[in-house]
Amino acid sequence: MKRKKTVITSRGAAAHAPRPRAPQPPRTPVVPSSILRLPGEKLRSAELADERAAARNARNAPAAAPAPATPLPPLAAVDLSVDLAPRRDGALVLRTPVMAAAGTFGYGVEYAELVDVERIGAICSKGTTLKGRTGNAPPRVTETASGMLNSIGLQNPGVEAVLERYAQTWAAWEVPVIVNVAGESVDDYVAVVRRLDGEPGIAGIELNISCPNVGKGGIQFALDADAAAQVTRAVRAATQLPLLVKLSPAAQDVRRIAQAVADAGADAIGATNTLPGMSIDRERRRPFLGNTYGGLSGPALKPVALRVVYEVAQVVEIPVVGIGGVASLDDVLDYLMAGASAVQVGSAVFADPLLPVRLADELEAWCRDQGMTSHRELVGAALPGRRDRPSMKGAEYRP
Amino acid sequence: MRLLTARLLDSREILPGQWLMRWEAPWLASTALPGQFVHVRMPEWAGMLLRRPYRLNTFDRIAGELTLHVRVAGRGSAWLTQLRPGESVEMLGPLGRGFEVDPRSRHLLLIAGGAGISGVRALADTAVAEGRQVTILFGAARASEVYPASLLPDEVEYLVATQDGSLGHHGDVTELVGTYEAWADQAFAAGPPGLLAALARIAAGRDARLGVARLGRKRGANPDPLGSPGARRKSWLQVALQQTMGCAVGACLGCVVTGVQGPQRVCREGPVFAAAEIDWEAAG
Ligand SMILES: Cc1cc2nc3c(=O)[nH]c(=O)nc-3n(C[C@H](O)[C@H](O)[C@H](O)COP(=O)(O)O)c2cc1C
Ligand code: FES
Repeated sequence: MKRKKTVITSRGAAAHAPRPRAPQPPRTPVVPSSILRLPGEKLRSAELADERAAARNARNAPAAAPAPATPLPPLAAVDLSVDLAPRRDGALVLRTPVMAAAGTFGYGVEYAELVDVERIGAICSKGTTLKGRTGNAPPRVTETASGMLNSIGLQNPGVEAVLERYAQTWAAWEVPVIVNVAGESVDDYVAVVRRLDGEPGIAGIELNISCPNVGKGGIQFALDADAAAQVTRAVRAATQLPLLVKLSPAAQDVRRIAQAVADAGADAIGATNTLPGMSIDRERRRPFLGNTYGGLSGPALKPVALRVVYEVAQVVEIPVVGIGGVASLDDVLDYLMAGASAVQVGSAVFADPLLPVRLADELEAWCRDQGMTSHRELVGAALPGRRDRPSMKGAEYRP
Repeated sequence: MRLLTARLLDSREILPGQWLMRWEAPWLASTALPGQFVHVRMPEWAGMLLRRPYRLNTFDRIAGELTLHVRVAGRGSAWLTQLRPGESVEMLGPLGRGFEVDPRSRHLLLIAGGAGISGVRALADTAVAEGRQVTILFGAARASEVYPASLLPDEVEYLVATQDGSLGHHGDVTELVGTYEAWADQAFAAGPPGLLAALARIAAGRDARLGVARLGRKRGANPDPLGSPGARRKSWLQVALQQTMGCAVGACLGCVVTGVQGPQRVCREGPVFAAAEIDWEAAG
C-alpha cells in the first residue's frame, strides 16, 4: 500500500493529508520501441499490438490494482514529498522536491536509458505548442562563464504528436509529467491546454509565458501583469489540471506579475526561465548563435532567480518552484530557504544526468543529519518577518 | 550508452595544438562503432558547465582502449590536453549513429580536412580489417599540419593536399577527389563545413551523372526513407558533422543542423549523415 503523506504548504499553514495519487497501473515497458525506432526501421505489427494492448490494460486497470512493481524508495524518517497544487486535493504531489526542468530533459524518454526517471520528483516536458515548430537556426547552444546560452526556439512536433508519441509512456510512469505549454496568443495557450486536459499521463501544465527565444508570444506575457493574468485566467478556465506558471527574470517588478498570476488562479509559480543574453563568434565577427540572442541558464543565473523566488514568496500564498542554476545540495537549500517549495534542475543535467535523483538523496540525508522530519521545515526560513523592500530599490547606490 | 570513467594512459602532441590521447575504457572500446562519439565531462570548479563531444578516433576492443584526437580550440580542450597519465575523466557514450558501410563496398574513399580526420580515422581501421581497400585524402593549410602517415594503418593509400603547396598536391583536397570518384564505392568525409559542402556538391553531381540510373527501381515505390540506414548505405557520400551540444542524448535540441526535412540532431540522427540529408545552403 502507498503510505499517506502529510503535506504542509509552503506557508507552513493548513496541514492536510492529500489523497494518494490514483492507483498505479502495472508497468509497461519504459520506452515503447516505437519511440526509439530509427527512420525507416519498420515496427513489427505484433510489437505494436502488444504495446497498444499494454497501454489499454494500463488505462483500464481496476481501482484495486496491485501495488506498483517498483515500491517507493525507503524514505526512512524524512518525508520529502511536496504538494504543488494544495488547492487541488493532492492532484500534484511529488515524492521529492527535485524536478527536471523544461527543455533540458526532452520528454523523459531520452534519458530513460541512463536514469531511473521514476525517482525524479516530476518531469517538465519540452515546450509544447499547438502546431509543430522547427525552431531557430543553428548553432543553438554555447557555453558562457558558469552558464550557457540556448536559442532552441521551442522546436516541438505540436501537441497532437506529443500526445501520440509520449502520453502512453508517461501514463505508465509513476513520476508525474508536467507538460510545458507555449503559444503566440491566449487562444493558442488555451487550445493546447484543452487538448491536454483529461489525457492520461498528463499530471499538470506548466505555462511557459517567459520563453525569450521566440518572436511572437513567449516572454511578452511574463513582462506585463495584465497579460500574465489574462493568459493564466483563460487557461485556468479551460482545465482542472494543476497549473504552474513560469515567470521571467527579466520582468521589472516581478512581485506584481506573481500576484496577478496567483490571483488569476495559478496553483504554483515557477521562477525562473532564462535571461536574454548573447555571445560573439570572434573568428567570424558576428553573433555566435544563429538566432543572435539566447537564454542564459546555469549557475550564472542562480543569484537572479533566487532573488525572484525571495521576492515572489513574500507576496503569494501558493507554492513557488525555484529554477535556475541548481547544481548542488547548497543550491537546493538556498532556494528552499528563500521560499521555494521545490526546485527544478535544468542545464546541470547535461553534465550529470543523475543529478536530480542524487540531489533528492542528498537532501534526505541532510535533513536526517539535522534531525528534521521534512525539508518543508526549511521552506522560507530565510524570508523576513516583515515584507522586505523590492530588489530594484535595494540595488540603488547608497553610500 | 553509459556513464563511465576512463583513465588516461598516455597523451602526446602529434601536431601543433593537436593531441592524441589514449584511454583505458573497456566497455566503450568494445561497443563503439566508427563515427560514434563520447561526451566528456568538464571540471565543475572551472565553471565549465557543458560536456564536450569528441569523436572516437580509434578503438582497440582487445586491449580495451580508445584514442581521442583533441585539437586545442577552447577552455575545455585546453584542460583536457593538460591531463596527465593516470588521471580520469567521466565519459558518456558511445553516442550517435556511426557510418553505414555497404557490405558489398570494396573501395572506400575517406576524405578529411585537418583535425577532422578524427571523424573518419576509426573507419580506416575497421574497413582494413574487413578486407576493403581504403584511400585517405587529407587536406591541410601547410606541411606542418599534415597528419603523420605513421599513425595510419599500413594498408591504406594516403594522399595529401596543402593550401600552400608545402607537401603533396598544391591546393584543395577536393581537387583530388575526381581521380577517385569512379573507383570509390562509397565516400566518407569529416572536416570544416566548407569542405563538406564542396564534397556534397561533387557527390550531387556524381549522383546526377550515374546515380539516378542506379537508384534501385527494383524496390519500386518503396525506397528507403531519407535518413534510414538503408538510404545512407546507398548514398555515395556520408559526412560526419559537428555542432555545439548540450545533452548529447537527443533531449535538448541544441545540436541541430538544418536538414532538407527540417532540423536534425547531430547527437542522435547524426553525427554521420548522408550528404543528401543536409540543407547545405542553410548550413553554409
Ligand atoms: C536547452 C534549453 C531548453 C529550454 N527549453 C525550455 C522550454 O521549452 N520551456 C521552458 O519553459 N523553459 C525552457 N528552458 C529553461 C529551463 O527550463 C530553465 O528554466 C532554465 O534553464 C534555468 O534553469 P537552469 O539554470 O537549471 O538551466 C530551457 C533551457 C535550456 C538550457
Ligand atoms: S545535444 Fe541535446 S539534442 Fe543533441
